[in-house]
Amino acid sequence: MKTKIFIFVFFTIAASLFVINDVSAQGQNDPWTPQQLLAPADLAKVLNNPKSPQPIVYCIGMDAVIKGSINVGPAMKAENLNNLKQKLNKLPKNSQIVVYCGCCPFSRCPNIRPAMKLLQDMQFTNYKLLNLPQNVKVDWIDKGYPMSE
Amino acid sequence: MAVALSLFGSNLSILSAQSIGLEIGNRPPEIKLPSIKGDTVTLSSLKGKLVLIDFWGTWCSPCVEEQSELAKLYRKYKQATFINGKGFEIYGVSLDAKKSNWENYVVTNKINWIQVSDLKFWRSPVAKTYNIQGLPFNILIDGNGIILAKNIHGIDLDKEIARLLHK
Repeated sequence: MKTKIFIFVFFTIAASLFVINDVSAQGQNDPWTPQQLLAPADLAKVLNNPKSPQPIVYCIGMDAVIKGSINVGPAMKAENLNNLKQKLNKLPKNSQIVVYCGCCPFSRCPNIRPAMKLLQDMQFTNYKLLNLPQNVKVDWIDKGYPMSE
Repeated sequence: MAVALSLFGSNLSILSAQSIGLEIGNRPPEIKLPSIKGDTVTLSSLKGKLVLIDFWGTWCSPCVEEQSELAKLYRKYKQATFINGKGFEIYGVSLDAKKSNWENYVVTNKINWIQVSDLKFWRSPVAKTYNIQGLPFNILIDGNGIILAKNIHGIDLDKEIARLLHK
């Protein structure tokens, strides 16, 4: 009987650990929803059409390579995150905002989480993370999407 | 016929070795970029040595982690003689955007191998020429300037260099 209880407890713990691990692998703790990911092709289409309402695009990484984007600097640094906060403070909460970094794959980018968390905490209602799962070269530059000078 | 075929085969291998490309057996495209001091260092100037082209950036955490391993390899093989090359050199190409980040890292961590950068981040023409999909990325070339291996890291890189030692 004791053995059966032991086996049951062991498998329950093992299964729960597996679930926890699986959840983190899916990035469910990330401060954005799948609906908040903006496809690069969609942003490129908007940027290429001046008649279309333009979002405010912030580069929260190393270099503002996307046309018209505002360079805030890597959001992992408190001073840059504060710089973003100052800019956001001047905007209505329903402003159309896009942030991007594109240094590295999402899983190890140090900048996107602090920036998205800030937007969430400041209760903005219409903000997106540009979906650059690999990096800004592969997912933007190589596709020929509009670049800054 | 067999002789003709083998001659044909050897001609083919010579042709592919001479062509510029990114595959093993090709000559890699030339890189001509400034060092931290501002003087231009070309990849071709290292001909005669076994060379590791290390594409990296201070913003890339796995690249930064790898720098201490590269330092060990550099110490270990710098003066070694290889089957096709005398001495080992690392040609570090940084995809940083800010010179201060690059320079501070190199100085603080006492990186003593060649460092070059155009400070253009992912916009660097070299990232396009070398079709880099992500960092870290490296290429190992022999003393004749021929690509021997691509994107090998850690113990595999050490083993590959050791295999090329002149015995």
